[in-house]
Amino acid sequence: METRQQGSILFSAVLVLIALLVVIQLWLVAAALDALFARQLAVLVPTAVASTVLFVLSAGLLWYVVSFDARLRQWGPRD
Amino acid sequence: MADERPRWREDFPVRWDEDNYMTRRELAKFLTLGSGLLASVNILIASIGVANRAPALPARRIASADDVAPGTSLLFRYPTGDDPCILVCNADGRIDAFSQVCTHLSCAVVHRPGDDVLACPCHKGSFSAREGLPLAGPPTRRLPRITIERRGADLVATGVEV
Repeated sequence: METRQQGSILFSAVLVLIALLVVIQLWLVAAALDALFARQLAVLVPTAVASTVLFVLSAGLLWYVVSFDARLRQWGPRD
Repeated sequence: MADERPRWREDFPVRWDEDNYMTRRELAKFLTLGSGLLASVNILIASIGVANRAPALPARRIASADDVAPGTSLLFRYPTGDDPCILVCNADGRIDAFSQVCTHLSCAVVHRPGDDVLACPCHKGSFSAREGLPLAGPPTRRLPRITIERRGADLVATGVEV
């Protein structure tokens, strides 16, 4: 059973989670740049893989919350 | 007649009904787009790193193993004549070699056998003579290690580990 209040809380939570993942990705970009300039090439591929995984996670979370919202709109609010 | 326009209006001349608002959905999409952009940048950085990977370096004889006594060091250049390196034979006979260029501001490091460190005289930095790790002073990155192989009686440099 999904209510509009649940949807609202879920959306906020997912938003915070996505923002957190983006901050981690920013850190990964900084670490990758630092490693590139220090010629520590072994670090570069794992950071790229981790960043891609985080992006997929962010996109998945967005898809989940948007589909949740669509389901809520389809069946109408149950406050 | 008193001026009805409040003073704070001069400091904050934005009308809330004319302001641009971003919904949570838009913000989530924007953040996910940023996430994709950051992932692309990371992949680009990795591609640049892989494309510029240094080719395998040629093996070069450095010295005879008998030339290096425990507690002494030897200067050589590898892989090119412009790359000064230092080979250290520790008190227990273990042999390690590193780039002689300090990772702080590129001064030449020297071996201090008593402390078993490679010291940079410019800014009092020091590195472990076994691992090349920074121990004190301004340097934060380790010294690149020169891989050394013993081939018969010869010590041969075979590569650089950054």
